[in-house]
Amino acid sequence: MGPLIPQGYITGQWEFVIALLIGAAFGFLLESSGFSSSRNIAGVFYGYNFVVLRVFFTAMIVAMVGLLYFDYLGWIDMSMVFVLPTFLAPMLLGGFIMGLGFVIGGFCPGTSYTACAIGKLDGFAFLGGFFLGVFLFSEAFPLFEKFYYSGDMGNITIGEVLHVSDRVVAFAFVVIAIAAFYVTWLIEKKVRANRTESKFE
Amino acid sequence: MNKNYLFLSLLMILLAGGLLLLPDRTNYSQIPPEDLLWDIIQPTRYVTTEQVAKMIIEQDPTLELIDVRDADAFKAFSLPNAVNIPLDSLLSPNYSDYLGIEDMNAVFYANDDMLADQAWVIAKRLNYSGIYVMKGGLNCWIKTIIQPAPPPETASLDAFDLYDFRKGASIYFTGKTITAPKSDNKSKVIVRRKKKTKATAGGC
Amino acid sequence: MNKNTKIKNGPRYINPYLGGILLGLLLLATFFIAGRGLSASGAVKLSIVTIVDKIAPSHAMANGYYSKFIPADGSSPLFNWLIFAAIGTFFGGMLSGAIFGRLKKFRIEHAPTVSSRTRIIAAIIGGILFGIGSQFGRGCSSGAALSGTASFSFGGLIVMLLMFGIGYAFAYFFRKLWI
Repeated sequence: MGPLIPQGYITGQWEFVIALLIGAAFGFLLESSGFSSSRNIAGVFYGYNFVVLRVFFTAMIVAMVGLLYFDYLGWIDMSMVFVLPTFLAPMLLGGFIMGLGFVIGGFCPGTSYTACAIGKLDGFAFLGGFFLGVFLFSEAFPLFEKFYYSGDMGNITIGEVLHVSDRVVAFAFVVIAIAAFYVTWLIEKKVRANRTESKFE
Repeated sequence: MNKNYLFLSLLMILLAGGLLLLPDRTNYSQIPPEDLLWDIIQPTRYVTTEQVAKMIIEQDPTLELIDVRDADAFKAFSLPNAVNIPLDSLLSPNYSDYLGIEDMNAVFYANDDMLADQAWVIAKRLNYSGIYVMKGGLNCWIKTIIQPAPPPETASLDAFDLYDFRKGASIYFTGKTITAPKSDNKSKVIVRRKKKTKATAGGC
Repeated sequence: MNKNTKIKNGPRYINPYLGGILLGLLLLATFFIAGRGLSASGAVKLSIVTIVDKIAPSHAMANGYYSKFIPADGSSPLFNWLIFAAIGTFFGGMLSGAIFGRLKKFRIEHAPTVSSRTRIIAAIIGGILFGIGSQFGRGCSSGAALSGTASFSFGGLIVMLLMFGIGYAFAYFFRKLWI
């Protein structure tokens, strides 16, 4: 049955209406979870607010387990679901740079949209920097074109690398996530005892 | 700690654990009829008897011959190194590890195309790749490889090349003694012929 | 759940696990409908491509990166799922801000340890880094780390682990910005 758009069940303008609605739901959830505040987000690195980790990991395990059930029930054709291709070296570098950007800027692109939406100027600054960064990358692209395409492993999955099934991967993620929720809850309690304020608006 | 969180964690672990216990989904229903039809009408799913003969002679390690006739027929006559998987037991788990081996080309054959084609469609539905049907089956094999008929004098050079190959293969498979070609001007023509790679593809 | 938070005059956010479950279901729905996950950085990339293509078309075509995203049929790169999703994200955030009373006049949020100016500069630097990093990583935290990993992509996992790992590794050096 699914995915609907690649199989041609939804076409034309409806695609964009749905994109708009999905985007709106995404923005609503990000903002209402507290991601419009960089101080909430940065809390994950300093132990006073683990909201990022909670939302992120919960969303991930729900989607993973859900996808596998959909697959089992035949509701979604997993061969048509886009698996992000892996380019090992550039992705390692990309993750490294983004990690730095994360701890310095305190936003990621999606959360900066919502910060802009409620009038945070630091959100606008981050988004402006983001545009600039993409522009700089594109302009300098010929310099590292070869590197950008290096380490191509194709649309490889975690299970294929570790030689286990997707179900084992999902189960492992669930266990790790729940353990992380518990540990971070303990850490947060300790750190918050020395702080007057840990949740920001 | 809140009891609700404990309950949610348990629920999530049970849901994920349930996945581990579920049997693997078999996606037979998911090959759309259009795709199957497309695959069926592709001529590339057939290999000719000459191609098979060539691969056997060259001892191609990727070739896996699968005889889908019943066991008696298989015992009476079959191709060298073939595996016998009668069509009615194609789905039996005893044989499942013969199919879907990476980089192997499984070639189905029977007395004619019929059984082999049926086996091919089943294997396709099981999502195996690298599966082929030997065009014409063993009847064609006998006609072209074991007892090749010489082409008419007016036939093209390719046809003679093909005949030469068939004769050579015939010798290989039957152990016949070599009958030297008669020394008429035809043999001179043979000497001058260019070797063409396409020569080993012929009809039945 | 905990009723005390309502009495306290703290920010009104939904429970993070509830938010996570809803976000997970949304991600699942997105996979079901679109066959791919959520994304935030793609829209910026396509906007940049459009702008450069408008100003200097020959330059854009000569560059191996811009030209990848310019549709061959001459239509605008902006007429794309990613753009509409990004517009939706903006208004969705605005709606949530309005409902929970966070939609206010322009302001700069920063830790008391730094000035507004420092915070803005840090935000710009962070944005630039994210802009460069997300192109190398084939997506940002939503596209690569969240959606990528949720669809079991190995690359998504790499980006996620490294992003958080490097964040922790360098957190000490930038602590003045936050605490």
